[in-house]
Amino acid sequence: MLELKGITKSFGKIKALEDINFNVEKGEFVFITGPSGAGKTTIIRLILRELLPDQGEIILAGRDITKLPSKQIPYLRQKIGTIFQDFKVLPEKTVRENIEMALAVCGVNQEEWKDRVIDVLKMVGLKKRHSLFPSQLSGGELQRLSMARALAINPKIVLADEPTGNLDWDTADLIMDLFQKINSEGRTVIMATHHELIIKKYAQRIIELKEGRVVKDTASKKEIQPKKDIESQDINKSE
Amino acid sequence: MTSIHLKSAWDHIRRSPFQAIAAVFVLATTFFVATMLAILVYSSSQAIKYFETRPQVIAFIKDNVTSEKISLLQNKLISDMRVKDVRYVSKDEALEIYKNATSDKPLLSELVSPDIFPASLEFSLNDLSFAESVIEEIKKEDIVDEVGFTANLGGESTLSDVVGRLRKITWYLRVGGGIYVTIQLGVSFLVLMIIIGMRMSTRKEEIQILDLIGATSSFIRSPIILEAIIYAISGVFIGWLIALILVLYTTPTVISYFAEIPVLPKDTSYLFYLLGLILLAELFLGILLALIGSMIALLRSRKNK
Repeated sequence: MLELKGITKSFGKIKALEDINFNVEKGEFVFITGPSGAGKTTIIRLILRELLPDQGEIILAGRDITKLPSKQIPYLRQKIGTIFQDFKVLPEKTVRENIEMALAVCGVNQEEWKDRVIDVLKMVGLKKRHSLFPSQLSGGELQRLSMARALAINPKIVLADEPTGNLDWDTADLIMDLFQKINSEGRTVIMATHHELIIKKYAQRIIELKEGRVVKDTASKKEIQPKKDIESQDINKSE
Repeated sequence: MTSIHLKSAWDHIRRSPFQAIAAVFVLATTFFVATMLAILVYSSSQAIKYFETRPQVIAFIKDNVTSEKISLLQNKLISDMRVKDVRYVSKDEALEIYKNATSDKPLLSELVSPDIFPASLEFSLNDLSFAESVIEEIKKEDIVDEVGFTANLGGESTLSDVVGRLRKITWYLRVGGGIYVTIQLGVSFLVLMIIIGMRMSTRKEEIQILDLIGATSSFIRSPIILEAIIYAISGVFIGWLIALILVLYTTPTVISYFAEIPVLPKDTSYLFYLLGLILLAELFLGILLALIGSMIALLRSRKNK
């Protein structure tokens, strides 16, 4: 479903990603982990075509999205459900309007809106909050709204960038249950997180990044040692 | 889909009412001036047309000329493409005209008889530029005693002077008014652009979010353009409505002051038809202004992104 081949990305002199390679199959739940600055968000932004890599290919549903013309980018994003750490909900629209806006963006027939909105609000447990504005919601509710918006468009792939980053453990746990539910429906979920408890409890496949490189990919069933570690081992050996 | 854009546009207007009022006020002022100018241009054109179509040349016929010879000249003039509205005025009719003109001084009419008034052929010209050649030709006719170009108006101005002056006034009105309206349109355009630019800045976060969830640029642009169109339509309508009220209020006075000169249509339905045409033209101009203004503001904001 998704394949990153030899992705390299620099911001000025800083190398954010270096030679990233991995595959994500349809229906997988993949955790991209690593410390802050490891490059987790950069990968999410590359898949969303917010950024272009310096090198490499990103194949999504058989198409290299790095070669996508700018005019096609919105249509790519319409197929991906994205959940952000800072929620990115429209502050001047109600819960219902936020979801309706996503449906309008994707060109969903207006007659379908009502049912879809009710379905996703029920799923995330915000049905009674449909007429409230984001400023009237808690952090957990905002994240659930962000999830509802992402799910309303019925995406095959869901990207989540630190979705529990601003939440306490209990709320994060609830949110993760929702992600599991989404995944169990056959949707591919790629989640960037550094929340260790969550990784321990929910992880199926972990791609661990360190200083812009993949150091572990549980799908490949082997740990990839960071370049520095390899270099230090070599030095030790030579000593 | 349009309803969600209209709702967004309306929400933005509601949330910044003073910006909206400023935009509508400037546009209303512009289109009020434009409506008044259009009516003034119409009135002056009507006045010119009125004076231009009045009898401009009078060929006084010598005494004792037979009616056959007069008819011959009359037919010759009728068949001349430069000439229109040829009319024969007999001595008796000339006396009647004189009597009507001096009705307030009956003594003057009692002293005259039809014999002292020459019969005449009166006609207008399709264009005042033909005057010289037509007059020269008619002067050469045997039966013509004298040729008068012009009826005296107010005892000092000839008809051509009046028409010339009116043309000059109309020209100044068109050019001066045109420049003024263009400046006003320019100001409205800038105000619209500034307001839309401000709107873009305040909506920056919303635009970024919409962009991230896959909104196309036309989806993002739509409510902003609709907002500008709402301002334009409101401004045009308010400006036009004020002008309409003013025109309806002053029409009876204007019509009675100018008497037979049809500076404004006496038929109310035609007056509304005329004002309706002006409204349509202004709506077109207003919407065009809003479209161009909002597109430029959007392009500028994209460039500054």
